[in-house]
Amino acid sequence: MPDVAKARSASAILDALPCGVVSFEDDGTIVSINSTLSTMLGYTANEIEGRHVETLLGTAGRIFFQTHIYPITRLHGRAEELFVLLRHKNGADIGALINAARRDFGGRGVTDCAVMEVRERRKYEDALLRAKQAADAANTTLRLRTGELEQANRKLEDQAVALEQHQHQLEDQATELEIQSEQLLAANDELMARTLELEHARIAADDANRAKSQFLAVMSHELRTPLNAIGGYAQLIELGVHGPVTEEQREALDRIMRSQRHLLRLINDVLNLSRIEAGRVDYAIENVRISYVVAAVVPMVEPQVAAAGLTLESSVDHDLVAIADREKVQQVLINLLTNAVKFTPSGGTLKVFAERDEMTKQVCVSVADTGIGIQADKLKSVFEPFVQVDVGPTRRREGSGLGLAISRDLARGMRGDVLATSEEGVGSTFTLVLPSA
Amino acid sequence: MASDVLRRNNVKTFGSGNRPMLFAHGFGCDQNMWRYVAPAFADDYRIVLFDYVGSGKSDLSAYDAERYSRLDGYAMDVLEVIHALDLRNVIFVGHSVSAMVGVLAANREPDRFARLIMIGPSPRYMNEAPDYAGGFERSDIEQLLETMDRNYVGWAHFLGPAIMKNADRPELGEELTQSFCSTDPVIARRFAEATFFSDNRSDLGDVQVPSLVLQCSDDMIAPNFVGEYVHRHTPQSTLRLMNATGHCPQMSAPEETIALIRGYLESDSGA
Repeated sequence: MPDVAKARSASAILDALPCGVVSFEDDGTIVSINSTLSTMLGYTANEIEGRHVETLLGTAGRIFFQTHIYPITRLHGRAEELFVLLRHKNGADIGALINAARRDFGGRGVTDCAVMEVRERRKYEDALLRAKQAADAANTTLRLRTGELEQANRKLEDQAVALEQHQHQLEDQATELEIQSEQLLAANDELMARTLELEHARIAADDANRAKSQFLAVMSHELRTPLNAIGGYAQLIELGVHGPVTEEQREALDRIMRSQRHLLRLINDVLNLSRIEAGRVDYAIENVRISYVVAAVVPMVEPQVAAAGLTLESSVDHDLVAIADREKVQQVLINLLTNAVKFTPSGGTLKVFAERDEMTKQVCVSVADTGIGIQADKLKSVFEPFVQVDVGPTRRREGSGLGLAISRDLARGMRGDVLATSEEGVGSTFTLVLPSA
Repeated sequence: MASDVLRRNNVKTFGSGNRPMLFAHGFGCDQNMWRYVAPAFADDYRIVLFDYVGSGKSDLSAYDAERYSRLDGYAMDVLEVIHALDLRNVIFVGHSVSAMVGVLAANREPDRFARLIMIGPSPRYMNEAPDYAGGFERSDIEQLLETMDRNYVGWAHFLGPAIMKNADRPELGEELTQSFCSTDPVIARRFAEATFFSDNRSDLGDVQVPSLVLQCSDDMIAPNFVGEYVHRHTPQSTLRLMNATGHCPQMSAPEETIALIRGYLESDSGA
């Protein structure tokens, strides 16, 4: 077969192929193209041959051709299954799959390209690509969602743990509350029982106290009458009503009368206390200017103060006014001063002073001595009836030991109090506290 | 550490010269693209070839999507190779995007570079109206990326069964790797983005190293306008218009490429 016939025959075979075939030189010049491909791209073979192979490609296709297809075929002699966008004469993009092989043709490189339109195949690829993109997107979403879920999960777990802890706490608290409730109920029962007991005890105590006070009042009266008789008759004898009295008899009478007075004072005190405790004391509450009370009290105790070799200083602000019973205040101050005289060695100083406590709205009238002082543990008990601080046999003081008890009761009866501070060997301070006007 | 870089970037050195000549491949291929050009300089220079991380036979595990999302990451590869071999007075030959990678590297450490040879450089592939004609519209680049994606589909489709058979036919995997310069199509797609969306026009003025711009005829990726733009904006640059057409003269016209490079290096303005 002559060459021309051979070429025609080859060309006919190429044209009959279902896929496109194009051959081009290394510089891109198209040597031949079969009718399948030229028809696919809207050209006649004549229009295409001699033109650059890039004519068949869109812009992206050209880049891909330059950066991939050309180097690969040049370096490896062949390229397989590469996707490229072809450009139809009318400008439409046509996706194609190409297989290319480069051969030496008389010292020049020629690349033969088989081109398969991938419209059909592309459908599947599109689906695959969409699936891949969807998968990527889903994956991204999934990652994000997973992250969110993990975070949410962690939060929930934390919350669950917190809730569990909280529940445990609540359970513990419930248990505790139940126990406490039981304890409270038991305590309540006990309390009610105790209250009942106490009520009984209180009634009994009140009864006993009333009985004691009545007894004391009666006894005091019964004792005072004969004592007054003793005193009176002793005085009559001393006055010589029953005849002359010898010096020895006079001394005896003195002792009788001293003892009678002592006994009488004691009984008076007891009577006072019992009356106070029995609530039989009436208070005439009024505005009491403290400076006046002090001014009235000082002269009354001055003889005793002087006799004991003591100095008395008083300094009270004229503005201080208490709401109290004047006589009771006076009585308390006399008690406090008498006490101070008793327990202060000769040469000492007594001080009376007063001040207003703005916080508590109270007036505080104090009697300070430079006496022997009171041990801290005994300070409380000095207010107990019949108690005298034990200062040793040689220092035994006269008195009933009721002065402070009476004073405090009186003070409390006026919504006040008597307080004591002391330092052993330095002195004591007794303070009458009263509501301020 | 140096040996790590050499392994990572699949660095190959040969030649009997002292002055180093570092060849950097472009997007879409690997150091193989220099096979017709580099040996011609082996007698006079010390030839250094390498693959960017993510390309050729580089260590894919060293690929860092963040680092290689910008051309700076590729410039760091160049500088790390230079430091690993302690190269000085480097004659840097960069094809396509690597021309700009070379500019970035040389601007960072100008002392290491003696010459830049830029083959088909483009500082900006996209058109910037009104006075810059990079050659492409954004839609073109997006279509290219789609093509890359489609080839991923085809590639995966094609490669899937082959990988499964890889155990008893290891040479198949090797062959496939070679048949596709960029080893990993996902990385290749990212390289495409880093390349075609980059804008290095403002870096040209900072170049302190004398350079040669080789501009092909009818290069649709780097048209004449772009080559002239690079020359105009790069101090101490020389522009040579080539007879070679297309974008890969080192493959389509190696002799002309060699002659122009040699001529430049041997001329007064060169070496």
